[in-house]
Amino acid sequence: MRILVVDDQDLNRTMLKFMLESEGYEVILAEHGQQAVDIFDEAQPDIVLLDVIMPILDGYETAPLLKEKAGDFHLPIIFITALDDQKSMLKCLEVGGDDFLAKPFDKVILTAKIRAHQRTRELSQSVTAQNEALLYHQNQTNREHQIVEHIFSNALNNNEFVKDVVKYHLSPASMFNGDLFLANRSPMGGSYILLGDFTGHGLAAAVGALPTAQTFFAMTAKGLSVGDIAKEINTQLLRLLPDDMFCAACIIELSTHGKALSIWSGGMPDILLINQKEGIKQRIPSQHMAMGILEEDEFDIGSYSFEVHPEDKIIAFTDGVIEAHDINDEMFGQERLEAIFEASPYATIENVIDNLNQFCGDIEQQDDVSMCQVNCLPINDEISGNDHEIAPLPWHFSLPVKPDEIRTTDPVSHVLDMISGIKGMSKHRSTLFLVLAELYNNAVDHGLLNLDSSIKDEEEGFFNYYIQRQDALDILANGKVDISAEYDPDNKIVSFIVKDSGKGFNNKNQDLSPQTELELPHGRGINLIKELCQSIQYTDNGSRVEVHYSVLSQAPQELHYAI
Amino acid sequence: MSLTKSLAADGSSFTIQIKGKFDFNLVQDFRAAYADVGDNTPKVIIDLRETEYMDSSALGMLLNMQKNLGSKVSGIRIANCRPQIKKILQISRFDKKFEID
Repeated sequence: MRILVVDDQDLNRTMLKFMLESEGYEVILAEHGQQAVDIFDEAQPDIVLLDVIMPILDGYETAPLLKEKAGDFHLPIIFITALDDQKSMLKCLEVGGDDFLAKPFDKVILTAKIRAHQRTRELSQSVTAQNEALLYHQNQTNREHQIVEHIFSNALNNNEFVKDVVKYHLSPASMFNGDLFLANRSPMGGSYILLGDFTGHGLAAAVGALPTAQTFFAMTAKGLSVGDIAKEINTQLLRLLPDDMFCAACIIELSTHGKALSIWSGGMPDILLINQKEGIKQRIPSQHMAMGILEEDEFDIGSYSFEVHPEDKIIAFTDGVIEAHDINDEMFGQERLEAIFEASPYATIENVIDNLNQFCGDIEQQDDVSMCQVNCLPINDEISGNDHEIAPLPWHFSLPVKPDEIRTTDPVSHVLDMISGIKGMSKHRSTLFLVLAELYNNAVDHGLLNLDSSIKDEEEGFFNYYIQRQDALDILANGKVDISAEYDPDNKIVSFIVKDSGKGFNNKNQDLSPQTELELPHGRGINLIKELCQSIQYTDNGSRVEVHYSVLSQAPQELHYAI
Repeated sequence: MSLTKSLAADGSSFTIQIKGKFDFNLVQDFRAAYADVGDNTPKVIIDLRETEYMDSSALGMLLNMQKNLGSKVSGIRIANCRPQIKKILQISRFDKKFEID
């Protein structure tokens, strides 16, 4: 504790210095006000003892200057005075003095006063230090929030949807939204939507959005059903979130043609199915608990399926919409919301939000408010997912398959796995699978096992054929099927040659009329290959077959078939 | 298990979902699955969202099912086909006998 003594009289300075030093204080001396101001910055005193009448700069003028130099810290100034008139004492207080010390000096009183002012000085210092710490933490928190907000907006901005089909509105009550809207397209071309509401709001509620979004995008890319997606997210949230936190949500899937709708809903307000002409057709209640509560084996993936029409739409919303209050503390409520659509079935979520804002007036928003609308329209675009160029690399491989391998493995799948691994080939894999499976099964069934397909035409024929095939396969001792596959990058042709060691079989009965073909449970394989491939050629009495498939063949979506 | 079946809570639809390969190896499972459609003449949904491959015997199995179920169901929909699978169904003119979505 450093004390600055400002007095023009040598004796006063000496006495005060002696008294204070004997109490353990550090003492700095100044002979007049100007000197006190000059040395202040270097001396950094904690308390000032200030004489009133001095040459150059008197105490009244000095006090405000020292207070200013002290800045944010409280600097106690004690006036040394022999003055006892009221006017002078008032003036001392007006210019910033905090106390008086009367001459002649009394050591007990001096020490007591210094101690008292030492306490206020220390209090002021600690308050300032706390303010600084608080400011530091505030800045740090703001910075952290900015980072998290950045991550959130990137993680949650992967939404893919068709604008005419999906519309949504989000208004969070604070910087972070505890509500969540996610949308993605399915591999089949349809639309997936998730509208969720985490317990609470703000950052604590929003953290669950990241794993939810991650799981949602991964599972929708795989084309899972709404119930299976809910189950995956539930498992993630159960593992990550504390017990008292969970996510009410509905997951909606609309098929590409806009005709089939499926909904899994847990812990959400009723979802509305509305027809543009008839108004509200159905209220779809939540069937389940929110996600993040039930153990995996308790979780129910059951969902609702609806057949819908282009004039139908789905309205889903979080409880923030119906629980919003007006100035009289009355809730907006499901009835008011439904009344909007009863009055005009063409109403949209924008109309609901306008209504809601009017209802709430200037009342501060308490909870996150989110809505989405799904118009049950067909989608006509084409998804260009894995539209990669095929590597211009010639390749060739062959597999000699013997009875043991026929019994225990699935050579067609293995060949397709190999081909799918080649860049650009994977979009042809289902078609190539069908082609090769056909050739291979014919080679095994008719070439090696000598089965007769007409068995399939009988009642229970498929099953009997299956049994016969198993029996014949179990005792097959000799023979083999050679599969070879190659790619010719110049002509962009994938060729399969399948050759069996059997004595050949008749394949001439395959040219069936379209009508017969559709009625018979068998015999459509070779005709399918003819449609899918450029050429198919049987040789060696039917035991060797070669097909050519062009990878330039039209994209599946563009195919038109004329009968 | 590459085949799962579920009857909707209200009995109005019966879904058979096939994962991965839909081929001759499923003959028994598939036949057993649609034996449980119930008495409410539900709509049968063959959900092919996770079906990557199918061969011509799968087409035969679908036709067999249709013959077998007849009026026990209110309709059969082949749903959520991937583009390549849909192409196979179209080439086979299955859109004439089934609702394909």
